Amino acid sequence: MSDDIKVDKVFDLKGLPCPMPVVKVSKGIKEVEIGQVIEALSTDPGALSDFPAWARTSGNEILKTEQEDDVIKFYIKRNV
Amino acid sequence: MDQQTRDDLLKLFQGKLNEAMRFYLETCTRCGVCTEACHVHASMGQVKYIAAYRAEIVRRLYKKYFKGRGKVWPSVGEAKELSEMALDELYDAAYSCTGCRRCMVYCPFGIDTQMLMSIAKLLLVGAESEPEILTLLADTSIEKGKSIELFKENFMEGIKRLEAKVVSKWKMEAGETAIPMDVEGADLLYVALAGAHSIIPAAAIFNAAGENWTLSFFEAVNFGAFVGDPTKSKLILDRIVNEAIRLKVKEVCICECGTAFRVMKQLAGKQPFKVSSITEVHARYIREGRIKLDKNKMDGGVTYHDPCQIARNAGVMDEPRYILKHLTDDYRELTDDPRYNWCCGGGGGLVAMGEDTLDFRMKSSRVKVDQVNATGADILATACENCHAQLDNLNDHYKMGVEVKFLSSMIADALVQDAQP
Repeated sequence: MSDDIKVDKVFDLKGLPCPMPVVKVSKGIKEVEIGQVIEALSTDPGALSDFPAWARTSGNEILKTEQEDDVIKFYIKRNV
Repeated sequence: MDQQTRDDLLKLFQGKLNEAMRFYLETCTRCGVCTEACHVHASMGQVKYIAAYRAEIVRRLYKKYFKGRGKVWPSVGEAKELSEMALDELYDAAYSCTGCRRCMVYCPFGIDTQMLMSIAKLLLVGAESEPEILTLLADTSIEKGKSIELFKENFMEGIKRLEAKVVSKWKMEAGETAIPMDVEGADLLYVALAGAHSIIPAAAIFNAAGENWTLSFFEAVNFGAFVGDPTKSKLILDRIVNEAIRLKVKEVCICECGTAFRVMKQLAGKQPFKVSSITEVHARYIREGRIKLDKNKMDGGVTYHDPCQIARNAGVMDEPRYILKHLTDDYRELTDDPRYNWCCGGGGGLVAMGEDTLDFRMKSSRVKVDQVNATGADILATACENCHAQLDNLNDHYKMGVEVKFLSSMIADALVQDAQP
């Protein structure tokens, strides 16, 4: 978890086939309130462009992206 | 449904009425040959899953609005009004059909159910009644195309992190790039999916073959095609076409994704590059002696599921068998003729709709499970992401006890390094 961001729910999307990471994040973000933040963990390098594009399309906001070894962490704020 | 909405939808319908579509709409003799052709009907036994029944839902609307007798005397013309209820029926028909076209090869007239379902899907898009997630995925792909400069650097950094894994499968000289990107003048543009599993084995094989290649910034899959929106489908396709033209490549190689390959191969039009499936490219490397494979890497019997969009609908059937001959001495056919192979049940956007369709996908694919079980194989290979995901789900659900593997991963794991020139 990032030190400066309070995470309300974590979604482990590691190793999921295409396009499940985006599908699960799209559905999962509706499980938190508007203004809350989810953390999504992915091992897909494509997520580095898929998630920002999804956020722009859906109106949500990626607050921060971190990469540790194989795992990419996205902190996403629900805006809509 | 108000008149304006109906008129708008009928304009969309009319736009689909080319000569082939009219033939499909006017030709069915209800001979019933397609009855057992659909894996959904064969597995679940409901009339609504017969191909001719699905087609009839679209056909009755056609008769009502585009045929004289249906307009004047609808009850005799078996015509049906376009209503909210009709949209529900169109949804059930379109999203229980995987577009595998097995019915088409049985139909004496070659009626293409997938094409007829494309009318249903387009009307659902027009009425904003399509599966929301498929449109969101299509819009995400389009957005990526528009804003690639914003994401490029991060993506390239993520790809860089995969290079050690590529080198672990195929050693390279110091200074060589394991996953080249944005290389103008490369011979081959490889279009992968988002996952590392779609990139690492492919990269190792390209490097082993000494290919002059470059990785695309875009994912191959076309969600516009899944949702049946031709405008979005083209925008998604154009991202790759434009990238290929910009880089001046001679060949665009599509990863193990059936829909991506069929859409690129059949809908991209005349382009200054050829389009190949990765399976065709791998077979070529073996044929030309550019890669050598170790048969001892495979443990147990192997069977192969032909992805409908790569085999039946795009003709790539000999190549996977040629590859498998170089991977194992214990290959077992699923079917006497791959053109008549059962669909896995995951196509047409059903897998992309995730858990919402899981129960239906499991129930509607019982015949696939029986077909695989009859081979007694230990490894079930395939060359499509959708098929792999669906077969994995079936394997878990029905406890089939097979290992579902991508053909490209099997090749990458069997590469013989000594064969390097």
